[in-house]
Amino acid sequence: MSLFLHYLSMPYLLEGIELTLEVTALGLGGGLILGLILAGMQLSRFWLLAAIARAYTVIFRGTPLILQMVFAYDALPHIGIKLPAVLAAGLALACNEAPFIAEMLRAGVLGVDRGQLTAGQALGMTPSVLMRRVIAPQAIRTMIPAFGNEAVSALKNSSLASVVAVQELTLRSTQLASSTFDFFSIFFASGLLYLVLTATISVIQLFVEWLLDLDRTTRRERKLADYLPWRRVDLATKLELADATVADPDPAELADTPPLALTREERARRATTIARNNIAVEAKDLTKSYGPQKVLDGLDLTVRVGEVVALLGPSGSGKSTLLRCINHLENWDAGTLRVGGRRLGFDENGKRLSPRAIANERASVGVGMVFQQFNLFAHLSAKENVAGPLRWVHGMTRIDADRRATELLDRVGLSHRADALPRHLSGGQQQRVAIARALAPNPSVLLLDEPTSALDPELVNEVLEVIRRLAIDDGLTMIISTHQIRFADEVADRVAFLSGGAIIEEGPAHEVLTNPRNPLTARFLSVMEADKTPEAVR
Amino acid sequence: MERRVLPQARRGTARATSWRKLALGASIALGLVAAAPLSAQAAAPSACAALQEKYPDWKGKTLVNAINPHTPGYETIDPKDPSKYIGFDIDLGEAIGECLGFKLTYKPVTFAALLTTLAAGQADIVISDIYATKERAKAADFITYSKVFDGVLVAKGNPKGINGINISMCGAAAAENTGYVEVPLIQALIPECKKAGKPEPTIQLYDNNANCIQAILAGRADTYINDVNTVDSAVKAYPDKLEKAIAVTIPYSVGIAVPKDKPKFRDAVLAALIEVQKAGTHMELLKKHGLDVNNFKEPDILTAD
Repeated sequence: MSLFLHYLSMPYLLEGIELTLEVTALGLGGGLILGLILAGMQLSRFWLLAAIARAYTVIFRGTPLILQMVFAYDALPHIGIKLPAVLAAGLALACNEAPFIAEMLRAGVLGVDRGQLTAGQALGMTPSVLMRRVIAPQAIRTMIPAFGNEAVSALKNSSLASVVAVQELTLRSTQLASSTFDFFSIFFASGLLYLVLTATISVIQLFVEWLLDLDRTTRRERKLADYLPWRRVDLATKLELADATVADPDPAELADTPPLALTREERARRATTIARNNIAVEAKDLTKSYGPQKVLDGLDLTVRVGEVVALLGPSGSGKSTLLRCINHLENWDAGTLRVGGRRLGFDENGKRLSPRAIANERASVGVGMVFQQFNLFAHLSAKENVAGPLRWVHGMTRIDADRRATELLDRVGLSHRADALPRHLSGGQQQRVAIARALAPNPSVLLLDEPTSALDPELVNEVLEVIRRLAIDDGLTMIISTHQIRFADEVADRVAFLSGGAIIEEGPAHEVLTNPRNPLTARFLSVMEADKTPEAVR
Repeated sequence: MERRVLPQARRGTARATSWRKLALGASIALGLVAAAPLSAQAAAPSACAALQEKYPDWKGKTLVNAINPHTPGYETIDPKDPSKYIGFDIDLGEAIGECLGFKLTYKPVTFAALLTTLAAGQADIVISDIYATKERAKAADFITYSKVFDGVLVAKGNPKGINGINISMCGAAAAENTGYVEVPLIQALIPECKKAGKPEPTIQLYDNNANCIQAILAGRADTYINDVNTVDSAVKAYPDKLEKAIAVTIPYSVGIAVPKDKPKFRDAVLAALIEVQKAGTHMELLKKHGLDVNNFKEPDILTAD
């Protein structure tokens, strides 16, 4: 025992820790840089880069680290690269860690909800802003446990540097054992030293997890102690947590205006005004196929400023695709799309735009989009969801962006939930935040893709009410794909009925809905009416 | 890249305890002994000066000596001050360096990596109780300086009755270090054992002496054949559990390895070794480290051709 303590406190062994840490740090740091490059190559649009990265991964993940160490140390000098032992070992460890770290990074990036990426694109974020503001913050959070693993494994793997004469802890232990014959005391001591080092990494990992825990920054703090292995943050605690943020009743809300259906005269007046307005969106002969299947088949649609158009039609009729084309989230095969008179997807010389240029085009043309699945940025509070894109895409100052966000959240009746995370909001509240987010940059056109389809029935109305006000109070140009016939009847100036990628019937909303001419429209409406009858205009 | 030139190798050891004693009593009296190389060297300063004039390339340089510091008596770290290496080979190398005017730093590697490290240019010289064989001479040139006597280390009482590298080893498990010359000698027993209708001997390969000795202590191996001084020091460390069955002669010499492409350096080291021996330093160092003076050998060159 005294021998064990003697070796445990022996400066010779303790100094070995320094080299152990140096090799580990080189391995992890270098591995992270190389891993970032590899992951970037694998995720890139260019197949050659991806293939090279894949080949690298196969080789360096598939050969033992000890061979890589010997190679870096003994083979590289033959081609004139003679690294000091610590650097050679660090290089080998970095090359070996890189593919593992790259796979972690790739998994983290691919793990971020696709819907949020689409929402970010729709808001006009360039690929790099998207990576920095949406993907990375979420991916990093999910990758921390894996990084902890990797750090511990790198630290232990650094012991293989002993084969290339790096005087780290393991090599010192074996040399000491050979000169003293105190085999077990020495190896127990060095084992304990390794344990202290790896335990430190575990503590750092837990601390970082705590630091980045989103719930920590909301109202109810989670204590660091909650992360100890024997602590269970049980269901009760979680409910409490959810309560703390969700339970407050929606005060004031949106109930103070009466339902806003228009009378026949009001509708007629609106129609004449709109007919004189400029064209906001114009699709001509729009065609798009997924393989052999045509999703848009020569579609024509014109929407004037201030007009509200409801797109109806069965699933797969092309409603969503049309909306996604108008925001240029998808490319089309033929035909033209103009928004505010500007032709999308091409520069002045008729050249196709790059992804980055398309993002800038989206931001400047001003098309907002609201999705069926809300697609809020999960790591940001309601307010940040609105304010963030204003700063990152439109260059607003923090103060201006926050003011605008507060104002919009107030307008959708959610000012009291400004600091809540999306996951602590109900579906209806999330969709209202999503609408506020889409409105924030003052879009000229707002696209809503089945905005209430994912909601529980009792939450549908609060969202419809917000949209109704936008249409009638604000005179916003909107294109809404929906299955809510009654809502379409109340809010839309015009409905367009899609089938097979083309508009088969369109006209003033009330007219088409109550008196369809096309048999397909009639059949669709009668099926829908089994649920709900459009209310007669009062 | 690496020439896999060392299917076998080996080296010996000295007595752990002998230098412990030395270190104690000697730290006083041995101000002298420690300075022995210096004083011995001083006996022939003119000869060394002449050598430095003839071979000026290494004067004032610091060279790297690759060693496998797991052989008490020849090369280990100093348990009193683990930042230093001690042993016969260390002192001999420094005496040669002194004569030619260079200093040495040390690079500890596994035994099997000694010659690859040299070939990769990560070391300038190897003085680490390595046996000079024709096979190894393909990877490096050798200046031989010591005869070889091996001891057969077995568990106390020699339960398997092993009495040398012969058919008494049939069916036994031998612990050896990767790259040691004993490995092919034991392998050569396999057909003999078959002919005698006995089971083959098996070989367990380890990284260093300590692991080989532990293999016998743990009952995994029956024997470990290595330099007799290494075997003696192991017996001294575990007198209740180990014993030396017998000493055998092995037809090799221990050599200093230098790069094949530096014949001038090889000649310089040879000349310096001759001077060190003339001054009596070599013999003094054998005694200082408790090694058998019968190990002494006049130097020779061994190359592949």
